[in-house]
Amino acid sequence: MFVLSFLARRLAQGAVIVFLVSLLIFTLLRVVPGDPVRLMAGGMAPEALIEQIATRMGLRDPIPVQFGRYLGHVVQGDLGQSFVRPANGAATGGANFNDATRGERAEVIRLILDALPMTLQLAALALAFALVFSGLLGIAAGLRPGGIADRVAFAVSSVFISLPNFWLGIVLALLLSVKLGWLPAIGYGGFSYTVLPALVLAVELSPVLIRTLSGAVAAQMSESYVAVGHVRGLSRPRIVAAHALRNASVPLLNLLGVQFSSLLGGVIIVEYIFDYPGLGLLTINAVLQRDFPLIQGIAIVTSAIFVLINILVDLAATTIDPRLAY
Amino acid sequence: MDAVETSLALAPPHADPAEARLMSRSIGRRILGQATGSTGFRIGLALVLILALAAALYPELSGIDPVKMDVRARLLPPLFLGDKWSWAHPLGTDQIGRDMLVRSLVGLRTSFLIGVASVALTLLIGCALGTVAGYFGGRTDTVVMRITDAQLSIPMIILAIAVLGVSRPTIPAIILVLGLSNWPVYARVMRSVVMAERGREYVCAAQVSGATHPRIILTLLVPLLLPPLLFTSVLDVARMMIFESTLGFLGLGVQPPTPTFGNIIADGRKYLLNAWWIATMPGLFLCLTLTSINLIGAAFERARNTIHGGA
Amino acid sequence: MDPVLSVRDLSVALTLPGRQRTLLDGIGFDVAPREIVGVVGASGAGKTVLSRAVVNWIEPPLAIRSGSVSFRGRNLLALPPREMRRLRRDIAYVGANPMGALDPTLPVGRQIVEKLRAVMPEVSPKEAQARVVALLDAVRIPSAASRFHDYPSHFSGGMMQRALIVDAMVSNPALLVADNVTQPLDVTVAAQVIRLMRELTERFDTAILFVSSSLPVAREAASRTLVIDAGKLVEEQATEALIAAPRHAYTRALVAQIPVIWGERPTLPAAPKPAAPVPADAIISLRDVSQTYRVKKRGSFAGTSALRAVRNVTFDIVKGDSFAVVGESGCGKSTLMRLLSRLERPSGGSVLCEGRDIAGLSGAELLGFRRKLQLVLQDPFNSLPPRTGIGAMLEAPLRTHGWRDPRKIREKVRAVMDDVGLPVSLYDDLPLGLSAGQRQRVNVARAMVLDPEILLMDETLSALDQTEQFKLLALFDKLQRAHGLTYIYISHDLAMVRKACNRIAVMYLGEVVELADNDRLFFDPGHPYTRALLSAMPSLEARRYRPEDCLMEGEPPSPIDLPIGCAFRSRCPQAFGPCLDRPPLLSVRGARDLASCHLVPGPGATLAGAA
Repeated sequence: MFVLSFLARRLAQGAVIVFLVSLLIFTLLRVVPGDPVRLMAGGMAPEALIEQIATRMGLRDPIPVQFGRYLGHVVQGDLGQSFVRPANGAATGGANFNDATRGERAEVIRLILDALPMTLQLAALALAFALVFSGLLGIAAGLRPGGIADRVAFAVSSVFISLPNFWLGIVLALLLSVKLGWLPAIGYGGFSYTVLPALVLAVELSPVLIRTLSGAVAAQMSESYVAVGHVRGLSRPRIVAAHALRNASVPLLNLLGVQFSSLLGGVIIVEYIFDYPGLGLLTINAVLQRDFPLIQGIAIVTSAIFVLINILVDLAATTIDPRLAY
Repeated sequence: MDAVETSLALAPPHADPAEARLMSRSIGRRILGQATGSTGFRIGLALVLILALAAALYPELSGIDPVKMDVRARLLPPLFLGDKWSWAHPLGTDQIGRDMLVRSLVGLRTSFLIGVASVALTLLIGCALGTVAGYFGGRTDTVVMRITDAQLSIPMIILAIAVLGVSRPTIPAIILVLGLSNWPVYARVMRSVVMAERGREYVCAAQVSGATHPRIILTLLVPLLLPPLLFTSVLDVARMMIFESTLGFLGLGVQPPTPTFGNIIADGRKYLLNAWWIATMPGLFLCLTLTSINLIGAAFERARNTIHGGA
Repeated sequence: MDPVLSVRDLSVALTLPGRQRTLLDGIGFDVAPREIVGVVGASGAGKTVLSRAVVNWIEPPLAIRSGSVSFRGRNLLALPPREMRRLRRDIAYVGANPMGALDPTLPVGRQIVEKLRAVMPEVSPKEAQARVVALLDAVRIPSAASRFHDYPSHFSGGMMQRALIVDAMVSNPALLVADNVTQPLDVTVAAQVIRLMRELTERFDTAILFVSSSLPVAREAASRTLVIDAGKLVEEQATEALIAAPRHAYTRALVAQIPVIWGERPTLPAAPKPAAPVPADAIISLRDVSQTYRVKKRGSFAGTSALRAVRNVTFDIVKGDSFAVVGESGCGKSTLMRLLSRLERPSGGSVLCEGRDIAGLSGAELLGFRRKLQLVLQDPFNSLPPRTGIGAMLEAPLRTHGWRDPRKIREKVRAVMDDVGLPVSLYDDLPLGLSAGQRQRVNVARAMVLDPEILLMDETLSALDQTEQFKLLALFDKLQRAHGLTYIYISHDLAMVRKACNRIAVMYLGEVVELADNDRLFFDPGHPYTRALLSAMPSLEARRYRPEDCLMEGEPPSPIDLPIGCAFRSRCPQAFGPCLDRPPLLSVRGARDLASCHLVPGPGATLAGAA
């Protein structure tokens, strides 16, 4: 019963958020300078032709009208068609814009659904790397503040947080792929192509995870129920495993929910560097080609994913700590 | 910690005059005092000072123009890799013979300026909204917190890329985008500390003595609660500098010919196989800068945590 | 018979870098099987350290300096951790912080089972659960089988303390160390918990070391009492003998400081005077004041429930009164304080100051009211802004009220500091070095600096020990006479109220259930709840009321879900038919005293009828 009302409330809030995101991105794309039609038609196209195309595509209508029309399609599951990508694959260049090919442009939803599994695979692997590494280091650090593990954790997280992911990606590709030949780097030709980008992402994610986890574990170990637990006759391994870690996992879960958007930022860069055919690469290309429908579609899908992930995180956190269920 | 609590409860308050003197200093000073004592802080500060001095002076003193091409000096390796030692280009040159050291230092200036300015903007918006929400609570709080929630659930990177990619990225636009991306974090922290402090009895007493809300906020709460936040915002300067260079790398940052870490590395990537230093050396330079800023920030954060935990 | 516990020459020190302080110095005593031994002393005397040393729980920065703690002849302090853990089955501990004792994210019952199986692995999970439920039932936790699955946050402090007693007793220990177990509890709940502990030790043959900062509380529980002062054991006697004939000077002072409640000659009943609906000299009047908060309903989509913190309170405070509002936690007295000081406006009714509704005041008029009524708060550490000099702190209200001349401000502040007994030399000091008592003087001075007519004291004395309380009460008395002040005390401490106030309102679940003059309230209470409070009050005197007769088990209902009829009926031993469906009205008893109980005999005249 509680779960149902919770889900209903959160999904309603989530719908509002997704709506706000789409409104925001839609408006921003239209008020900031940069005309997509000019790019599509090529620099040489006459002004009149551009106006003609733009008018036919509805780009000269007032923004609320455009948005209403767009939203009408979105609620039916139609995210529109790409401005520039043909349905058959390779992106069309701006110069050979031809009105006759309009009908064959790719569906935005198709493009996103093709790229999404790749990105999910990458994100999952990165998260697994980061959680295992930060889990071991962070818990060890939190159990003995000021000890060796704590100092190592501090040094590692200080260095990792200072490595820009695009630079680290280049350096790792140079070392592990070009010089040593251990891992493939560019493009995608199998699971092994995911490892190197995932490593770079994991390095980016780890510092916050390490610090949150070591802080949370240390805080739990100084809670009075830990000291009282010893006096009540519980063993230390039992207190740590069954109680302290259980409680410390709540801030970690919340962090994972919030970190989603920084993970996404990392994904975009890493996919761009490694030419990994996921959502990030799609985003960058969409922006560079001013492919408005695709940008909008990506923003809506990612914010929906964000909302869902946060609902799941909160449900998990509530299951662990029932006090959060209010 | 329980035993410590007991012992503190058992000891008469501040029986030790030295301790009482210590406690009487403002939290800001105590954080500063504790942080400056740590080795990490000192190393970080020394590095930052050296880098800042170099960035401020070297490009002008050396007389090298960061954008001047010199085809005779193309793709020169850095000092320690060349056949003969030449101090003319310590970090080598790029594909059109521009000096990498000067370009890196000029990039550092831009990056640092954008980092500091966007953090200042973040602090201003976040702290103002957080204070108001935490102090007044109720509907004001709900509205502000809803906005922060919504903003936190928008993938800001997409928004930033979209806005800067579609329009022409200028320095003020970049500062604005970066500054607007991170304020909810500060709003949340400020809200929670103001909320906790607002429930304390001395605020109640000030209110009953007739002090108005702005007066209480400005004379009692802000001077107490803001300084700790300022210290930890150092970490965000580094984060914003990474963000800035990332945008530059994607071609969405400050535009060439102005050198930034991002566009230098993006350029260098094309020559990775025959002149790997163009991409990696400025990056190493950037890492060094970020590490030293992060060392300072982390020292502040640790000091804040221990002081808050112990007070 | 061999003692179950014997402590010899026990010394414990606090060691911090650069300094060391002895907290316990050469303590030695025995506890026989099935004996309850009390340990009393002021806060800071070392009682908690002693109770922790007995269960071998001394952690840095505390350290054992010398001595032994022997349980059945084995020195606990020399045992390896593994052996010690095995002994936890026989040595149990209950502390003063019930809410922090268990993992907040797991059901209470499950954690007690976990403990039982950790110290007695031979018990099967099923058997353990049955045993825990049976014990929860035995400590009178209502519907124990379903409470077993509840989380710590769903338990009140009193319920949690009962559950922790179950946790301690579940392995049938030979020794229980009870460290200030009643300290966080309200008096009526504390009385129940002590009664419960006595019963359980008889049933389980357990010896108890009962540590308490209050001699009257220890007397309720213990047959023999140790007195500790500044880390030394100063006296040890059978409890009644210790109270009757204390030998050590410290014990004599301790006994002398326990306030006397019924010792003085009663002066009742007051001569009947015609009761006017609104006394002409009322300075503060509450008319049907209510405050309702909206709180989020658990697990609902967007629902809220009404928390009725204060319900239909009506009374008058006459100029020169020392008026007290007493009640236990959750009775609405803090909300009433916020309404009286206009930190909040009531959701119903009105608070009048000299006939004017204070809810409507603003600007200069509000400042005028603020000058008239000032607040002195409870917590001596939270109520002063950190890192502000004492002088500056006292100047701030003057500046708020438009004083500009720095010389005059300084003069005024010095005069007030002198008035409340603060050395003027503290002017530029920070409050950090001050004792709790001096901090409360700063608090009083901050209120007095505006020359108010009314001081609202919100638990002002509850953080102070007896000696400091005496001194401050004397100061209040002096100030009242010098400045013609009216006092409103908000308090849970009946003994203090008995000494300081002439008129008392008793609150329960947001209502005033009784309003009476001091003597009448203590000698002839009109409401069963007042009697219950009086019966539960720890005291060294012969009891006028026995808790067994005055109080049922259980705790106050939630102010969100108020019972129909009389709010007190669930705990009232005298509840009968009408209490179930009809809320009692405040009925007049004699001249000017009121009580809301169906049992109050009288002409049937109610306040509602009179107004």
